[in-house]
Amino acid sequence: MTCAEAERLLDSFVDAELPGPMLLEVARHAGSCATCDRAVREMTALRTSLGQVVQGELEGIDLSGVWPAVEQRIGRSARRGAWRRLPRQLPVWGTAAAAIAAGALLWFRTPPPEPVRVTHARPNQAVIERLVSSEGSRVGIMKDRKYGTTLIMVSAPGEDAGQ
Amino acid sequence: MIRRAARTLPAGLSAVIVLLAMAATAQALSVEVTTVQASPEGPSDAQLLPFRPRLRRLVGYRAFRVIREESRPCVWRNREAFVIPGGRLLHVLPKGMREEAVVMQVQLQEGPRSLVDTDVRLQNRGVMLFGVDPERGTANGVLIIMLKAEE
Repeated sequence: MTCAEAERLLDSFVDAELPGPMLLEVARHAGSCATCDRAVREMTALRTSLGQVVQGELEGIDLSGVWPAVEQRIGRSARRGAWRRLPRQLPVWGTAAAAIAAGALLWFRTPPPEPVRVTHARPNQAVIERLVSSEGSRVGIMKDRKYGTTLIMVSAPGEDAGQ
Repeated sequence: MIRRAARTLPAGLSAVIVLLAMAATAQALSVEVTTVQASPEGPSDAQLLPFRPRLRRLVGYRAFRVIREESRPCVWRNREAFVIPGGRLLHVLPKGMREEAVVMQVQLQEGPRSLVDTDVRLQNRGVMLFGVDPERGTANGVLIIMLKAEE
């Protein structure tokens, strides 16, 4: 392995990401090459110090208020979502509720149906709703019970005078 | 375009009028007015035989002769006059149907005088009667007006 080949693999070597045989080859080369060995050591020291800095930074961060804040945001978002969904669901629920209410109202308020009276109107049945006769004339109403025929008999005053 | 519209307009109007007239005729009421002379004795017309028993019970005479008969379609809410012998008129104004009965205003007029003016509800295809007292005593019988309405 040459120094150029080893240099390309140094990052992966420090991170121990190389396969076993290649890791051994880089380690052998660094053991026999002072330049590459120095590069490996510098890189390892840098990595260690970087790790320590990041670790220190992470330890300094106060995460105690993160989850309550996240939970609060989640709850707010869920409530907002529920209100947004409501108008879409409202017509369906509103219609269903109105139908149920109307049905209940009709059920409770509609009086029980009256028994149907089966009556057969006689073929000649006539109902006199209004009757006006001229002054002095006599009007009589007769009805035939068997056939239901109505007779309105009129006698004018002049005719009576002749009798 | 306006000229074409002017040409087609009368035809369209005519068609509408014809259709309206047809619709009015189709919905018309058939009114039949039969004037019968009832007498104490004599022959009776064969067509009145079915009515004879009830006429006898109501009027009290034995013989019945048809002296005038008229049947015509009447348009709803349109007043029709039927001629009755003796210078009388029977005005019929059909108003509508209610519970299988024809609601109508019937007025019997003698000259300028209204003898009777009534609103009746007659069973569809039913017959009702108007009687006019004799002009010269009961010996000459009475005039019976049979009114039949059929939708």
